[in-house]
Amino acid sequence: LCSVSLRIEGMTCGSCVQSIEQRIGFLSGVIHIKVSLEQQSATIIYDHSLQSPESLVEAIEDMGFDSSMPE
Amino acid sequence: MPKHEFVVGMTCTGCSDALTRVLNKLQDVKFEIDQPNNLVWIESDKDVDVLMETLKKTGKEVKYNGTK
Ligand SMILES: [Cu+2]
Ligand SMILES: [Cu+2]
Repeated sequence: LCSVSLRIEGMTCGSCVQSIEQRIGFLSGVIHIKVSLEQQSATIIYDHSLQSPESLVEAIEDMGFDSSMPE
Repeated sequence: MPKHEFVVGMTCTGCSDALTRVLNKLQDVKFEIDQPNNLVWIESDKDVDVLMETLKKTGKEVKYNGTK
C-alpha cells in the first residue's frame, strides 16, 4: 500500500469534502481518503497495483476540482 | 437543440464552480446554472443519460426535470 497527499483547489464547503471523499473513496484500489477543507488537500491510502498519484489526480479533476501532486 | 432542465443539489458557489468546470469539459453544450434554486439548464443534442452522468461526476444529487 502507498500513501499520497494531494492538493485540491476549489473546495468551498463541507459538501465538496463529502462528495470527494465518497466518490474517490469508492474507486477500486482506494483504501482510505481524508480530505481537509482548511488545507485544501487530501491524504489517500491506495493499492499501487490499481491506482497511482496520477490516476487519483485525474479522478479528482474529473469531478471539477483542480488537483496536483505535492512538490 | 433541446433544452434540458436538471435539479442539482448545490450548497454554495463552490459547488456550481465544480459543475461549470465539469460541463466545460463536455463539448457542444450550452448551459446555465441557477445555484440558489439548484437548477441547471443544458442545451445539447447529447443523450440525457450522458448529461446526467456528467453532472453526477461532481458527486452531487441530480434529478432530471425534462425539456423546457
Ligand atoms: Cu462545496
Ligand atoms: Cu458548495
